[in-house]
Amino acid sequence: MSDCGVKLTVDGRQPDRAAAAAENVARNRVAPRRHPGRWIAVVLILIVSTQAVQGVMTNPNFHWDTYAEYLFSPFVLRGVGWTLVLTVAAMAIAIPLALTLVIMRDSGNPLLKGASWFWVWLFRGTPVYTQLAFWGLFAVLFPRISLSVPFGPELFSVDSRWIVTPAVAAIVGLGFNESAYLAEIFRAGFRAIDRGQPEAAQALGMSQAKIWTRILIPQAMRTIIPPTGNETIGMLKMTSLVLAVPFTLDLMFATNAIANRTYLPVPLLLVAASWYLVITSALMVGQYYLERYFGRGHDVVVSKGGH
Amino acid sequence: MTAPARPAVELEGIHKFYGHFHALRGIDLKIGRGEVCVAIGPSGSGKSTLLRCINQLEVVSAGRVRLNGELQGYREVDGQLHQLSPRQIAAQRRRTGMVFQRFNLFPHMTALQNVMEGPLHVKKRPKGEARELGSSLLDRVGLGGLGGRYPNQLSGGQQQRVAIARALAMDPEVMLFDEPTSALDPELVGEVLDVIKDLAKAGMTMMLVTHEIGFAREVGDRVIFMDHGAVVESGTPHDVLTSATEVRTQAFLSKVL
Repeated sequence: MSDCGVKLTVDGRQPDRAAAAAENVARNRVAPRRHPGRWIAVVLILIVSTQAVQGVMTNPNFHWDTYAEYLFSPFVLRGVGWTLVLTVAAMAIAIPLALTLVIMRDSGNPLLKGASWFWVWLFRGTPVYTQLAFWGLFAVLFPRISLSVPFGPELFSVDSRWIVTPAVAAIVGLGFNESAYLAEIFRAGFRAIDRGQPEAAQALGMSQAKIWTRILIPQAMRTIIPPTGNETIGMLKMTSLVLAVPFTLDLMFATNAIANRTYLPVPLLLVAASWYLVITSALMVGQYYLERYFGRGHDVVVSKGGH
Repeated sequence: MTAPARPAVELEGIHKFYGHFHALRGIDLKIGRGEVCVAIGPSGSGKSTLLRCINQLEVVSAGRVRLNGELQGYREVDGQLHQLSPRQIAAQRRRTGMVFQRFNLFPHMTALQNVMEGPLHVKKRPKGEARELGSSLLDRVGLGGLGGRYPNQLSGGQQQRVAIARALAMDPEVMLFDEPTSALDPELVGEVLDVIKDLAKAGMTMMLVTHEIGFAREVGDRVIFMDHGAVVESGTPHDVLTSATEVRTQAFLSKVL
């Protein structure tokens, strides 16, 4: 933002001459303002943060040796792996499902509209912990999953335990719950698109499906990604609730189990927190690139206008 | 028009209601092939609505819209109208090109991608062919070399010219312009009007809604003056703009001229 005068020439109007003219202008020489308040703040923050770090690092109650011992233990690493699997799989279910819910909500068919509304109402309106417990009990509630002609013969049947394993119950439970929240985020994203966009696409003779995939979804992505990133990070932490199923391989369960064995909860909470932080940081990097890609045409600086 | 063929656009007894609001009150209009019809009139007179009925962005409440003889939106069997499928309606829309007041370029695509979108993803032409067509159309509207820019890197006039190129890329039989210069800064109006004039010279059938009376006079084969959802006066630009017989036309012109 340093030399706006030059950037305004991008309209293609003799940039060389304009740049030369800009060179010749004698700029104002301004003595920078002093900021004593900032220096005081810097000193205060340094003192407080040094003390805080020192207080944590040298405090024997934190048991840093135990922390180091378990940070990379296979038991913990397996927990990290499962937490990642749960997060990715649940989001992989939730995102297409949420998109389907939004398209259903937009349809002219009152049954589809109502079904979408009901789904969001049900899964958003009940606690995820309760939902997970129900999915865990699925095999008890419905011992066999079967496909049959209504009031007629059974075509196909399978034991529920083989289908709804604890891992499946955890993933489906988290994914269905998340789909309801994502559907509302997506709906907001689509509503933010100017009505002229689908009209212009219609005027070109595009089919409704093409309008969704070529025009609406790419444009909604821009506004949808930041809150969806938020939800993904939330999901990462929400996986610790799968003990309601019960599913017992995730990171939080693993570190809790060790803590119960060693009677040292603090270092193992720190182990879990560290891994959550690492994964969250990795997700943030991914989000940055996604945002940059889908922000094209919006977030580009005018002066970069290429040919 | 001396050609014996049917007119490019035939509007027959068009009515449009929004709830109880009677937006169009029985409009009959024929636009011959290669003819340029300009609609003028005060805001809310129904000009844009009429235009949007031609490519079915609005569904008419009564009447028939025909494009080169083909009934739009319906199949008529023994006086009974049967609604066409969305696919068939989309196919009918491909035969008209529309340019909007607010450009409505796709912001996530470059100028060239905007122009290629129709040929590539609607008509399913090969990419190389679509690119070539897109480039030549951008050249035609005076924007050769700016194909790589996103809409927000273009001025309003440039955006509107891309929008015209995008509509032309579908090789339409009729071009519809909905106040194409109303959202532009005054100094950018001319560049867009020049492109439209070139199209008129090239024999494109067009219907324009505009507030540019001078332009209507210059480019129009016919001018219609609309007020309160009806065509009040229709004729050559001279008939309507210079020697209007209707009081309402005279009153409107005295305000805008």
